[in-house]
Amino acid sequence: MIEKLKAILARADADYADLRYETKRETKISFNGPDLSHVTVSNTDGYVLRILKGGGFSTLAFTREADAEKALRTALENARLIAKNSRQPVRLAAAEAVRDEFLPKLEEDPRQIGLDEKIELTKKYNALARSNPLIATTSIGYSETVREKHFASTEGAVVREDLVTVGISGLITSRDGNLIQNARVAVGGSAGFQILRSREEEFEKKKKIVLDLLKAQSVPGGVHNVILNNSLAGVFTHEAFGHFSEADLIEDNPTMRQKMHLGAKLGNDILNIVDDPTKYGQLGFYKYDDEGIPVAAVPLLRNGVLCGRLHSRRTAAEFGEPVNGHCVAEDFGYAPIIRMGTIFITPGKDTIESLFAKLDDGLYILDAKGGQTSGENFTFGAQYGYRVKNGKVTDMVRDINLTGNLYKTMQNITAIADDFRLTETGGCGKGQTNIRSCHGAPHILVQNVVIGGK
Amino acid sequence: MEKLLALAQAQEAQAESYQLDTDLDIVTFENGRLKDISSSLQSGLSLRLIKDRKIGFTYTRNLTDREELLRNGLVTLRLGAEAYFDFPKTGSLPELNSYDPAIENLTNTELAAECQRVHRALSGLTKAQVNLYAYKYVYRQQVLNTSGTDLQTKGSSYHMQATLLLPGGSSGIHRGITGKSFLSASDELFNFLAELTNPAFREAQPKTGNMKVLFMPEALYGLTWRLKAGTSGKSVYQKESPVADKLGQKIFDEKLTVYDDPLNDQMPMAVAFDSEGTPCRKLTIVDRGVLKNFYYDLEYAGRMKAQPTGHGNRSGVSGGDPITIKPNPALDNLYIAPGSHSFENLVKAMDRGIIAGGVLGAHSGNIPNGDFSIGLSPGLYVENGVIQGRVSEAMIAGNIYDLLKEIVAIEDTVYITYGGTCPSILFDNVRVATRN
Repeated sequence: MIEKLKAILARADADYADLRYETKRETKISFNGPDLSHVTVSNTDGYVLRILKGGGFSTLAFTREADAEKALRTALENARLIAKNSRQPVRLAAAEAVRDEFLPKLEEDPRQIGLDEKIELTKKYNALARSNPLIATTSIGYSETVREKHFASTEGAVVREDLVTVGISGLITSRDGNLIQNARVAVGGSAGFQILRSREEEFEKKKKIVLDLLKAQSVPGGVHNVILNNSLAGVFTHEAFGHFSEADLIEDNPTMRQKMHLGAKLGNDILNIVDDPTKYGQLGFYKYDDEGIPVAAVPLLRNGVLCGRLHSRRTAAEFGEPVNGHCVAEDFGYAPIIRMGTIFITPGKDTIESLFAKLDDGLYILDAKGGQTSGENFTFGAQYGYRVKNGKVTDMVRDINLTGNLYKTMQNITAIADDFRLTETGGCGKGQTNIRSCHGAPHILVQNVVIGGK
Repeated sequence: MEKLLALAQAQEAQAESYQLDTDLDIVTFENGRLKDISSSLQSGLSLRLIKDRKIGFTYTRNLTDREELLRNGLVTLRLGAEAYFDFPKTGSLPELNSYDPAIENLTNTELAAECQRVHRALSGLTKAQVNLYAYKYVYRQQVLNTSGTDLQTKGSSYHMQATLLLPGGSSGIHRGITGKSFLSASDELFNFLAELTNPAFREAQPKTGNMKVLFMPEALYGLTWRLKAGTSGKSVYQKESPVADKLGQKIFDEKLTVYDDPLNDQMPMAVAFDSEGTPCRKLTIVDRGVLKNFYYDLEYAGRMKAQPTGHGNRSGVSGGDPITIKPNPALDNLYIAPGSHSFENLVKAMDRGIIAGGVLGAHSGNIPNGDFSIGLSPGLYVENGVIQGRVSEAMIAGNIYDLLKEIVAIEDTVYITYGGTCPSILFDNVRVATRN
């Protein structure tokens, strides 16, 4: 395959060009309520061509090999058009042309496991989640994605890497009369099929929560002091802060670029944030990005001060900052864009007990239910929560959505616990989906959070 | 595709192939800079097989290896889900004018020139940063099955969207124009966007409480998403819909009429058949506040013993690649009927309230139940009919089955947006949480 890629690239009239060919094998199994509702096993493939010419940089994704000539022609025209209309020619930061192959050695490779076994395991967890008369329905599915990536560039880079991701996840819905509640459940990761085994406890736990939600009170809208659990603090880190450490989101936004200059004091002194996809076994792990650059751990915030940023080769050159291998595509249908890999708040000094003592009265809210950011403002939902009185967890509350301003909220993080946990499944949707987007955090205490209520 | 179906028939299976070819060019400008031009040429094929009341599903991009595709299909058929239907035989359907050949002559140079023109025009009216994108899209789809259905369609669309950023980053007032081919953006659009944006450079700090909220069409998907979920045949079957037993009942304000009309070829993306080959028709969901219909694909019509409504679409709630998505009930051509008030008059009718120009976190919360608790992105605070400034860190919350009873008035014009073709709608008594 690499020779085929090189042959196509050899015909590119370009200052720089690269070509990625991928196969993507997906297995999906879905249960809705008691029924097996969907099974698919599919192979897809395609190419992504990038051309730099005269300071214009353009991408073209195509699926038919026969379209290679048309792709070369169109990408070149687009690059020239960008160059002609651009005040500032695109440059790519210098990088070593890597020649390597990385095929992860999985403890249990899902490609070696039969479809029957995958269906049975999903069926078992679905049955556990359904085993109560107040559970109205479930939507629980198995997902397996195997990307086999081949990358070549006119600089001589040749990279081959596989990304294997599995998960069993979905929604459990309870109903009592007209009241309907739901909660998400998810297990998975990138280390192999074994991480899906013996996870009954997680499905039992989420079933209990969704049943308890039927008796919970709606949280009152207004301003509250809150403790966020690992999952929610991770979503905050990803949504509110993380996206603005992606250089492509701020490069043409002078306001944000000014605010996000290296050295800016953005958060409380106790706050440290890192993006580190280099740890094998984590969901977000990879070795090379889709520009063929080795991924590096990037300290982003140290003692509340911005100290790093995530880059592609293009933005690294524009900002004059180091390349760090964070330019990643969903698959062969997309140009690579700057993505977080595994972003997290590093553990602090408080114990969980001292964190609750510091909160005294407020809310303890848990587990993410989606989030979104727009400029300085972010919104995300929590699956459930509890009132906290005198440092003790009391009644359950529901209908929790938070909003806030990034900078104010980072200053309002006043205590960080010494625990730590990363997510097992991802799905960041910055124009394209990154199923390995991983985040995490310790429990954190945040003052004065706006909650929407119901 | 005919050979593929013949191979399937040799295995004594019913078969359906869905082929989609797409060409897309998208031009992006940020802050006056031509940031990117991306193109894609994509082909793909989905295959469904039915045999012994089981159904299998697979897809590919590699249209040359039929045997592998069929092998995958047969694996999923053996272990697959129960089938509640047979592939239908659909004969000739009305010819729709969904394709404008003029789009073939529209170059990326012209898309870039239009973005530059719009940028210049808007920059003369506001100090806000202007971000723009424009795309052209051509698609061809074919549904073929062993029952004798052979349907093809070709369509085109052009879209340009302008966003005027407010202080604080990427939240901004935005509006797009959409057609089957190029449409020149008008001064009316530029003036509208600038007049809304300029007062929002001030910050307003309303107190938490119940007030009027004017949802612009661009914000309404936060509500229509929940309505689509609640009226889907899938939700009704799964006992997730809070209105499953309310057909024929008045559940909303009588000013509200909602329908799906895939046959309206004045609009782009019109189609005479859904992605399973079922004929499309105009389907009223809510008529003057009365719940009229649920919508079905073949599977959930089969499960519910209802008639399919032509809504078996290969779309996910947040997009997705149609080739990889099995048909499911989806309202892809939703309309909310216009009212009789100008946007200006709706703003003037607000004694105290908020204009929601967009929403954040619409995917969060208890969607099947109709609950919403969403951030405003942006929100503009209005007192006595005058915009006082933008509101930061504000959320609106409630349940659509309460909110849609509280309609004050509806705008007289509709706009094509992400969630459907909608007017602005003014609601009363909406819970707004702010920092004050």
